[in-house]
Amino acid sequence: MIFSVENGCFDYDKKRQDDFLLQNINFSFGPGELIAVLGPNGAGKTTLLRCMMGLLPWRQGATLLDGENIRHIPYNMLWRRIAYVPQAKNPLGMFTVEELVLLGRSSHFSLLRQPSAQDKEIASDCLRRLHIQHLAGRNCRQISGGELQMALIARALAAQPEVLILDEPESNLDFKNQLVVLDAMSELAEQGIACVFNTHYPAHAMQRADKALLLDKQGRYRFGLTGEIINEDNIKEAFGVEAVIGEIETKHRVYRDILPVSVLQLDLEPPAGRHADNEEKKGEAHMEKEISEERSRETRVAIVGAIVENREAAEKINELLHEYAPYIIGRMGMPYEKKDVSIICVVVDAPEEITAALSGKLGRLSGVNIKTTYSRI
Amino acid sequence: MQKREKTFSYKKCAIVCLLIVAPLLLAFAALAMGRFPLSLQTVFQVLAAKISGAVPIDLQTEKVIWGIRLPRILLAMLVGAGLAVSGLAFQNLFSNPLATPDTLGVASGASFGAVLALLFGLNLLWVQLLALIGGVLAVSLTYSVSANRDRGSITTVVLAGLIIGSLFTALVSLVKYVADAESQLPSIVYWLMGSLSSANYRMLLLGAPLILIGIIVLLLLRWRLNLLPLTEDEARSAGVNISHLRLLTVISATMITASCVSMCGQVGWVGLLVPHMCRMLFGGNNQKLVPACISLGAMLMLIVDTMARTVSAGEIPVSILTAIIGAPVFIVLLRRTGGWSL
Repeated sequence: MIFSVENGCFDYDKKRQDDFLLQNINFSFGPGELIAVLGPNGAGKTTLLRCMMGLLPWRQGATLLDGENIRHIPYNMLWRRIAYVPQAKNPLGMFTVEELVLLGRSSHFSLLRQPSAQDKEIASDCLRRLHIQHLAGRNCRQISGGELQMALIARALAAQPEVLILDEPESNLDFKNQLVVLDAMSELAEQGIACVFNTHYPAHAMQRADKALLLDKQGRYRFGLTGEIINEDNIKEAFGVEAVIGEIETKHRVYRDILPVSVLQLDLEPPAGRHADNEEKKGEAHMEKEISEERSRETRVAIVGAIVENREAAEKINELLHEYAPYIIGRMGMPYEKKDVSIICVVVDAPEEITAALSGKLGRLSGVNIKTTYSRI
Repeated sequence: MQKREKTFSYKKCAIVCLLIVAPLLLAFAALAMGRFPLSLQTVFQVLAAKISGAVPIDLQTEKVIWGIRLPRILLAMLVGAGLAVSGLAFQNLFSNPLATPDTLGVASGASFGAVLALLFGLNLLWVQLLALIGGVLAVSLTYSVSANRDRGSITTVVLAGLIIGSLFTALVSLVKYVADAESQLPSIVYWLMGSLSSANYRMLLLGAPLILIGIIVLLLLRWRLNLLPLTEDEARSAGVNISHLRLLTVISATMITASCVSMCGQVGWVGLLVPHMCRMLFGGNNQKLVPACISLGAMLMLIVDTMARTVSAGEIPVSILTAIIGAPVFIVLLRRTGGWSL
């Protein structure tokens, strides 16, 4: 499965002929990838999500699913392959969680039919998959915001999609529930379902996403590996915020985090200037890209050490290491049977973002504790 | 665990049986009641004789049961089931607990169409047709007045319905004003108050198919009705052609309402009361609600109509009774369950 957006342009103002809110968006992703869409308020994150699933029509360009324009795919076929998780804003008090999740099966049988026993089985499977089977009989209005969000994810899963598109799934949730939702997404991505989510938290993108799409208010965007896209410069430019990216060390692994420090004092741009300085900004973006290429050639030696408690993770680790083979200059694996763990040590010589991406991916596997040490050179 | 599921399905079976059997038993009892009281045994004998084609025991009794009470009981049940189910459909369509054929102005629109046909002395087929046109006109007007970006809040929909309803009520008054005070006016006024006394088989034959088709379509769509109150994006992402679903629902519900109105005038309250009673009893899933509404609607209307023809020497208009019974029952239910919601 390849999901791609080609030359997507959109603006709510129907008269506008160029210089759209979303301008020439191009990106694509495949199965099992976790994509974060970031950007300040009003940059068009939700609009982008709605356009890419065809809920809003692109003004120009198209969304392609395995090369086929989604507008030419019949309704029910399309929504078996992609599923949408809305924000858990207005709960429908009329349903139990079980009934809500069953609604996700809609695209699988014809209009006048009723859901079959098999549909019900799939719906309760989805609840189990997200570990919320205990909610099945509860009324949607009596569960918490976090639980409702999980129920909505379960509903989307019930369609058995290849792509899951989530609109701010973790906003309005407390710490614990944010983690629950993020863990669920990581888990689903690991199972091969591509997840696209938009978020207000760059840290969530850094810790979870493989790729990121950063929008800004001028209609520009950046798309690429999360480690390359989310850096202090880009955050500054997109959000107008001075931020520092640092690492928080726990006993088990190192987490990358971002801390907003201060708001940049910007000159108010004249509204008409959107078009005028676009060319200039495009040039700038081009330069920026060159710099980032320059930067990416600069590699550092690092040791990624992992203690693996879960034997099943070993295969996944090997796959990942294979993927990053060009950067790996040495590796060591050692089982320690007394405690039933394996110790893996990988030495890489790679650009910092690549190393961060590798250790991030390893760290998300369950039962893997990881730490990365960078050299100064 | 297994055991619990089993008892649960027994309970489910029992409820299904009750919903089917109770209206039939009630109808049987209603056949015996009236100004001319009969024993249940006689009713049974007459019915058995009629069905098996045997010689009737008593011609007069047979006429009372077969010719007068049975069509009226059938009409009552049909209208009750129809109005309840169309009320439920409208509530889902407008995602609004207060939407009913009455509050949306559909009933008024249908009334106007029907009254217009009565004014010109047209036959029942025309009454039905004009009622249907009036109803569709009213519901589309209400929808277009109330539709805004977020699909109309509860108050906007109800206000829009009120406006459209009063517009058509005014038009009905205009027809009354124009109508001949000696011959046409009384029949129009009496008809508007709602009565099932004119029920006969010819009328049933004309009106029942439309109601039955509407009910069957909604019965088949019962699970899909759950998709209607969702937000636009959610509904579309369910992978269903949501505009087809809406159109099918609105046409079925309006067809039922218009047909009911054209046969027995404007009977209020059923479309609001029954869906909410069912919701309080069975929860919010339309898959269960549609059959429940059909059964409970038929029973309620049957009880009300039996009262209308037995309580006093003269006929009491049904709409007066539905309001008198409906309002207090509704208040009690409301208090006990602590409110309504879709």
